[in-house]
Amino acid sequence: MIPEATHYLKATVSLFSPNVFLNASKLSAQGAPSSLQTRRNLRVSHCLAANVSHPKKQREKVEIPGLKMVTYGDRMHYIPGLAKPVYSPWKMSFKDPRLYRSPPAQEMALYKDKPCYVFNQRTSILEGVRQAAWLTKTHLSPGLLPHLVSLAAKPENQLPNQDERVQNAIKHARFWDTTEPRPRKEKYSKTLLLNLLHLCASLQPSHPAVGRRILAENYSLAATWKRGEDLFQIRGRNGLLHCSMDPLPRICGEQEVLETSDRVLESFCPVSPTIDLQQVSVYKEEMNYTGFRGEYPYPHAHTLYFLETSDPNCQLRPEQFRAKMIMFTFGNALARAHKLYGTQPQSLLERPITVQAVGTNGRIFQFLVFQLNTTDLSGDDGIKNQAWLDEDVELYDFAKVRPFIKRKEVKVPAGLAGYKPETFSKFLTLYLHGAA
Amino acid sequence: MALSCLTRALRSLTLSQPALLSSQVNKYSFPFASTVNLQPSELCISFFVCKAPVAQLKLGTLVPSTVSQCRGFLTTASLKQNRTYWKQMDKYTTRPMGMKKTGGRDHTGKIRTRGIGGGHKQRYRWVDFQRLRYEPNKEGQPFEEKVVQVRYDPCRSADIALIAGGNRKRWIIATEKMQAGDIIKTSGVIGRMAVSANEGDAYPLGALPVGTLVNNLEIQPGKGSQFIRAAGTTGVLLRKVNGTAIVQLPSKQQVQVLETCMVTVGRVSNIDHNKRIIGKAGRNRWLGIRPSSGLWKRKGGWAGRKIKPLPQMKSYINLPLISAN
Repeated sequence: MIPEATHYLKATVSLFSPNVFLNASKLSAQGAPSSLQTRRNLRVSHCLAANVSHPKKQREKVEIPGLKMVTYGDRMHYIPGLAKPVYSPWKMSFKDPRLYRSPPAQEMALYKDKPCYVFNQRTSILEGVRQAAWLTKTHLSPGLLPHLVSLAAKPENQLPNQDERVQNAIKHARFWDTTEPRPRKEKYSKTLLLNLLHLCASLQPSHPAVGRRILAENYSLAATWKRGEDLFQIRGRNGLLHCSMDPLPRICGEQEVLETSDRVLESFCPVSPTIDLQQVSVYKEEMNYTGFRGEYPYPHAHTLYFLETSDPNCQLRPEQFRAKMIMFTFGNALARAHKLYGTQPQSLLERPITVQAVGTNGRIFQFLVFQLNTTDLSGDDGIKNQAWLDEDVELYDFAKVRPFIKRKEVKVPAGLAGYKPETFSKFLTLYLHGAA
Repeated sequence: MALSCLTRALRSLTLSQPALLSSQVNKYSFPFASTVNLQPSELCISFFVCKAPVAQLKLGTLVPSTVSQCRGFLTTASLKQNRTYWKQMDKYTTRPMGMKKTGGRDHTGKIRTRGIGGGHKQRYRWVDFQRLRYEPNKEGQPFEEKVVQVRYDPCRSADIALIAGGNRKRWIIATEKMQAGDIIKTSGVIGRMAVSANEGDAYPLGALPVGTLVNNLEIQPGKGSQFIRAAGTTGVLLRKVNGTAIVQLPSKQQVQVLETCMVTVGRVSNIDHNKRIIGKAGRNRWLGIRPSSGLWKRKGGWAGRKIKPLPQMKSYINLPLISAN
């Protein structure tokens, strides 16, 4: 090709290339990009072309010590060739709470290099009950202890017309407590729990110790402990707490407590026990808080009542729900132990702390009794805490607003069906434990 | 209101600028406005069309100049609605993400691929294709992970598995016999002896014996697997040649890759995927496949069975070029 023609062809190409437009825009005083073609130019500005904008690669700024950069800051306008002036970030001379920006984590006062693993009320741990047992150094036994169950068999520990009154309570919660066709799950589970608690509380004339208790809701719990190399914390608000003036008696004798040191905790390699826990670098060490300040008249946690949350982001499966019960029960016991005996780890508490828990979804109940024997949780050996878990106990089979009909046959009639009285007796036992 | 927008737009138009070319280029100060629609809504301001001024250069070639500037502005509501914001996450998460369907349209808004559109809503589960991804403090050591769940993925033909190891969980492409509760191993070490690999484990190609069935092949080490990911597919490790390995892909094409590229052992899950019967047009529509044209068209040279020799082996190793200089 003729050299002059190639030269002008190159010039032509350079004219139509987008770089020319961009260069022109850089040189222009107002920085406006140009467009020449009669049709709409999609390369003009990035807001016109709906490309996914790639982050521009910034040129590396090299700092040479001792070399002062000549900037256009003094001249008050941009000059090509001079460096961009760097100013210190402007700070307001007074504090305005609306305009406060929190510093990054590394600059906060409570920042620590070692992370802490936090269990809160929305945590759903992968391995469920086994992981909770490892974290709390607990030996888990299925089923409640027989001497607790036999407590309910005694006639003075039963309500008059017990079955009828409990069935009325269920019907109230499931059918009558709404103006809509049927109440929603969160509503009826809460109503049912409160109704059952009310029924249990009606035994106060015969069991005066019941009157030395109070129900507390939405209190904040905090407990810290060390397990191996890692620091763990329980923080959060859990549902309903029954706290009393008198502590619960110990469930297990000394001999069985010492026998737990022979048991081995279940491990679940290759999954780490800290999976699904929230990792924080900004935390307060030695954070132990029972939820109540100072000399509260009802300091001993008696029973925790857990309901299933309606939050769609943290739907807990039954296994994870039981794990949450174990963790919060342990948290309450540990916070109390730290308050009574100090934060130094103790391998055997002379008076083990017992806390109970009941979890429900409106029909199925989980009963838990936890005994804290030791606060020395760093190693895997030694005396362990104990827990007795009764899983998936149904109170009734069906509570249908409309009968379930299949092929013109009524499979399940409307109303309450399949009521099981043993479940309420267990509930009552746990309620009266310590008062009977 | 429209008048204020117009004055604002006019104010933003720049005046003449010196061009990059020689000084013989004429300067034009004002663009030509062809149509101005004064409509009540702000968004419907039409584009100012500039007639390109023409400059004369030395040889008489007519070349449009870059002189007169006109800032372009939008004529439609917003072109940003086809931006893929949902894909721009930095942090890995196992939570399924809401996905925006493109309908076969590209960034300009026109159809680039025909026959795509509609179908059931799908949530995207972010699959980690880089199997050899170490946890932050545990570089360099082979590790094991446990399979928590194997489930259907609407976004691909294969099933995906949720695996948990250490402090993290991630999704991977499941292999044929993977089940919940299995332990799978990932190792980046190439020993002298070939490893007898179990299905689902991931090793570099140099560590596996010749003849192993593999899937999820990386062609560049550390990039993540790009080949053999569809349901029921498998590749074969054919031979290992000093520092490289040759793998046969499901299409019988052979590729040569570095032996440090990671690969998973076994067949990809959902092996009966190609035997499924769609059954009705509606099921195809549920999958997001729009009907092809119903007209009869004479087929060209592309149709019919072709019997050709295999293409040459493709090599993905960047050997240093031997230049003649």
